[in-house]
Amino acid sequence: MKIDQMTMEDIRSGLDTKKFTAKELVQSVYKKISEVEDQVEAYITLSEEEAYKKAEEIDTAIEQGEVLGPLAGIPIAIKDNICTEGIKTTCASKMLEDFIPPYDATVVKKLKDAGAIIIGKTNMDEFAMGSSTENSAFKVTKNPWRLDRVPGGSSGGSAAAVAAGMAFMALGSDTGGSIRQPAAFCGVVGLKPTYGLVSRYGLVAFASSLDQIGPITKSVKDCALTLDVIHGFDPKDGTTKSVKNATSYLNEIEKGIEGLRIAIPREFFPSTLDSQITNEIMESMFMLKGLGATIDEISLPITEEGLSAYYIISSAEASSNLGRFDGIKYGYRSDEYEDIEELVLNARTEGFGKETKRRIMLGTYTLTSGYYDAYYNRAQKVREKIKQQFNDIFKKYDLIISPTSPVLPFPIGEKIGNPLDMYLSDIYTISANLTGLPAISLPCGFCMEGLPIGLQIIGGPFSESKILRAAYALEQELGLGNGVAVIKEAKR
Amino acid sequence: MKISKEEVLYIAKLAKLKFTDEEALELTTEFEGILKHFDSLKESDYELGDTSINEELVPTELREDKVEIFEENTKLFANAKDKERGYIKIPKVIE
Repeated sequence: MKIDQMTMEDIRSGLDTKKFTAKELVQSVYKKISEVEDQVEAYITLSEEEAYKKAEEIDTAIEQGEVLGPLAGIPIAIKDNICTEGIKTTCASKMLEDFIPPYDATVVKKLKDAGAIIIGKTNMDEFAMGSSTENSAFKVTKNPWRLDRVPGGSSGGSAAAVAAGMAFMALGSDTGGSIRQPAAFCGVVGLKPTYGLVSRYGLVAFASSLDQIGPITKSVKDCALTLDVIHGFDPKDGTTKSVKNATSYLNEIEKGIEGLRIAIPREFFPSTLDSQITNEIMESMFMLKGLGATIDEISLPITEEGLSAYYIISSAEASSNLGRFDGIKYGYRSDEYEDIEELVLNARTEGFGKETKRRIMLGTYTLTSGYYDAYYNRAQKVREKIKQQFNDIFKKYDLIISPTSPVLPFPIGEKIGNPLDMYLSDIYTISANLTGLPAISLPCGFCMEGLPIGLQIIGGPFSESKILRAAYALEQELGLGNGVAVIKEAKR
Repeated sequence: MKISKEEVLYIAKLAKLKFTDEEALELTTEFEGILKHFDSLKESDYELGDTSINEELVPTELREDKVEIFEENTKLFANAKDKERGYIKIPKVIE
């Protein structure tokens, strides 16, 4: 097996049996990057010097027979809105183009402590606002399966890096589907954990009540292995919880799904939905049934209002969170200003991109007196209502299954001029953020054009173990879970 | 929901952003589309039943509010654009 096709599992055993060294691994990853990065453009920053240094440490530890961390020697990538000490963290924005964090995010610290090697920082929609990675100030990432298509967003760089064999795991962040939708578009696995399972300390905030960090991997097992490392209470993030999870997610994964009760909301399959997506999901349903799960069709009215509530709440929180960028202590500062007012105004106007400004404006508008009740307050009520709907379902069922995205990976440039059209493509993913529930996307097949289709599994609070079990069972049945996209020249 | 260019410019002032007339007009059109979509909120009923928060999602206890010294001052200040004698330099605030 070629190294770039290996999973984290394969690498761990390869290192343990001395098939290769950590240094050789890192070399092969950078070689792969030199071959395909020009076409895919998944990375904003590469951290070669640090990566080789870390690889040497790992190799020495292996030679001396030391006990290694669970991710020892595994080359990974980090979305560029998660702080890495000494490595640029830009949020794909001109505002932070030369920002170097003085500290590591908690998740980064945990990954480093577990022995992972950071290869670089991945491209994204600016400040994680977008669904296509076209809103980056630096480059447009391509979908490795077809270079004229978007990789999804906002964690498009992370998903593309994993799908193209340029990292064995990449962290993403998910505010309305930003891990799951790019995972679906790039044919990899992406998990948004329960709100509070993974620390957000060191994640540059977009919408604090919705944001959650999670892994993007080639296989479900790799996803569980990563979650084992990054989850847990963090005194630096008051919203994290200690979960009384006696065993590891990885240890539970092969328990099968005999007797699991699965719900399929019929509203998620309107007649307008691409029949290729419907067919692949239905096929997977039959498989799950064959593995011993029970499947019921239910009603879960996802109306336009959930999406509206999501965009109102996330933009409102963003307008407040992004108020910190004023060009004073860090971040972009314009060359021209007469006074302090102008310094701030010019820094923000020149430093933020179009979509970021659009969301700040939208958020500011819905929070102004006079509109606050009509928009923000109502949105909060809708959020409560959606929480209730999901609560009721999880009283009777273990899991909900749906498509991850209502559309296949679309051509680059198709939706960029129409923000509302772009927003509508998040319809299936936003509920998990509004409710705080965990949800995974895994590849379940391909459309006629050879583009991946993603299936989403949503579970009750802190039911990651169950979600991963079901995802693993399905992945085994489908025989997917180690595919690396073969980069072909884009058909123009 | 009608929204005027003046309104957009007023919001921009609150958000500390500047837009050209052309950009403001474009935003006005986009906003109308987006806000029209938001109007679906007004058509639903909000009779909430049991709003007890899911036990498992209650936040944990907050840590004690204690000052901790961040040792890496140089790293912290490294990102400021204009510095002088250990201070961050900005234009005069008070005349």
